[in-house]
Amino acid sequence: MELLAHISPMFVLLVFVGTLIGIIFGAIPGMTATMAVAVCLPLTYSLGLQEGLALLLGLYVGGISGGLVPAILLNIPGTPASIATTFDGHPMNQRGEGEIALKLGIFASLFGGIFSLVALYFFAPALADFAIKFSYVEKFLIIFFALTIMGALCSNMLVGVFSGVLGVLVSLVGAYSTDKGGNGEYRLMFEFMEPYLSSGFSLLPVLIGVFGLSSILIEAEEGVPATASTTGTATARQKKFRLTIFRGQGVNLFRSAFIGTFVGLLPGVGGSAASIMSYSQAKAFSKDPQSYGKGNPAGIIASEASNNGLTGGALIPLLSLGIPGDATTAILIGAFTLQGVQVGPLFISGNTDVWNMIIVAMLLANIFMFAMMYFAIRHIARIVTVPKYILLPIILVMCVVGSYTINYGIMFDVWTLFLFGLFGYLAHRIGLEIAPFIIGFILGPSAEIYFVKSLESFGTLTIFFTKSWIAGVLWLLIALSIAMSVWMAGSAGRAARDPK
Amino acid sequence: MPAAAPSTDLKIGTSHPEAEHLMQHSSIFDVTIDFSRSHLIFPTMMAILLCILGLAILATRWRGIAASLRSDGHWPSGIDQPRFFGTLVLILVYFLAMPVVGGLFPNRGFGFLLCSAPFMFALSVLYMHGRDTRKLGIAFLSALIATTLIWYLMASVFNLTLP
Repeated sequence: MELLAHISPMFVLLVFVGTLIGIIFGAIPGMTATMAVAVCLPLTYSLGLQEGLALLLGLYVGGISGGLVPAILLNIPGTPASIATTFDGHPMNQRGEGEIALKLGIFASLFGGIFSLVALYFFAPALADFAIKFSYVEKFLIIFFALTIMGALCSNMLVGVFSGVLGVLVSLVGAYSTDKGGNGEYRLMFEFMEPYLSSGFSLLPVLIGVFGLSSILIEAEEGVPATASTTGTATARQKKFRLTIFRGQGVNLFRSAFIGTFVGLLPGVGGSAASIMSYSQAKAFSKDPQSYGKGNPAGIIASEASNNGLTGGALIPLLSLGIPGDATTAILIGAFTLQGVQVGPLFISGNTDVWNMIIVAMLLANIFMFAMMYFAIRHIARIVTVPKYILLPIILVMCVVGSYTINYGIMFDVWTLFLFGLFGYLAHRIGLEIAPFIIGFILGPSAEIYFVKSLESFGTLTIFFTKSWIAGVLWLLIALSIAMSVWMAGSAGRAARDPK
Repeated sequence: MPAAAPSTDLKIGTSHPEAEHLMQHSSIFDVTIDFSRSHLIFPTMMAILLCILGLAILATRWRGIAASLRSDGHWPSGIDQPRFFGTLVLILVYFLAMPVVGGLFPNRGFGFLLCSAPFMFALSVLYMHGRDTRKLGIAFLSALIATTLIWYLMASVFNLTLP
């Protein structure tokens, strides 16, 4: 009952609205859950932390879930996390089973979301209790591990780590903060920039630029393709959905939700990896792997259970260690920062009400997502036909409002949005990884403080190896992540040379 | 806040190169941090690491990079140039105009309101395929209603500062 003590009608309404807007964003190809959270963040400026989180968590769950609509109807993943849903969802739609595919995905999404929420509820406080024991040395190693693991799981480890280190370097622009024990001196900038960049680049304009403006530039580059029609697909009468379709899919559901939750724990990996990994596992363990890619319902279950499993999983490192599990939760750090709350090992024990609210908001968001999508799927399916020449200008103006208002009206933040929008576009063109860049950008200042203060306190580099047994374990994990990356690169190279 | 000034009170090795000014070693693993220059330690390390990683990427992927440089399809060929560059120009004009117009009506958010509506309409027209009166009408109404709604919500309901 403690969980329900602080629920107000406004809180429930915000979760509902957030979930609805998230589903709409997710259902429009090219718009992602990350973009939805980034663009709607300014709406939370005048709300309290709990109400703001209600809206943002609704957007997160809705955004991830809505991606299955165009994946099934148009063969275009609405969000990267729905990539594997296209493999079997669209073939089902083509043979007149679009509604079955959509409702199957909705059920699997609900299961994945609830599974990861249970994991979040039990695992995050335990991890936070353990992390309280960490000194600056272990905290630095945790960040170092986060950077190596996200590099290891990128398509190219070198590029992933390069992107992460670039994010760290960009985050160091400005003064070495005296608030955190620095000397207040400026670095990595010219003297005339000091009035604007004394605290470095603001996080939110950077996030909105990289995820919002850059997406619009990419759309513009591709000529803003006219939205496809869904005529004759799920909007028309089709075969009926029955729950018996889940018969024999229990293991697939649990395995996929577990994979999604686990992948969510790993910083910067993202929903597309969770979706593909679960799909591969479902196919590998199937008695009929040949049917995958031709409209096998198990493929949709695997993809959707895992990408919604990501939502709770990605919040675990965020709330217990202060390390975002994916790009969307990286933006949630911005929401906490706005309200003057620092996420990390002390967050859950020091903010019990907020922690309870997060759990309730996630639960409500999953229930609302299910109810809205299950009962209104025919109407939601029409969202994919909304023309982009109407949507994109609105989103761009929202990006500007968000950037301008974050620091109570500074035009430099709007130029920051432009600068990082261009950077995001350029990164897309040349193949840099955006998620590691953003996580590096967020963790950079903390990494610096932990590293320099550790050396100031102990005066030796060996402290990073000898401080405690936790440090030893972390080095082992770092070595394993690098070894895994090398092994994966080797496997990919062998597969490329010998496709059979 | 003063700009970074060169340190004059290094304890050891003032004749050493720049990198050694930052972390002064008494043995291979022992380090003494000079607080006045501690702001440069981590950025220097990251810059060096970035260069090493950049060189490693070049070394491992030079064939692909060279092939893409030799190919004919260099940017911006192959992209929708009018829409891409049109977007950039419109954004620049919008960003430059907003504070100027806002300066004429201080603290009321009119710079946002008066610049966003034409900007949104122009962007809609730029992104439109097969322009006709109906689509232009929808774009016009959308720009007008969306801008007014956002302005009302942000400036009046939420009391947020707009240009």
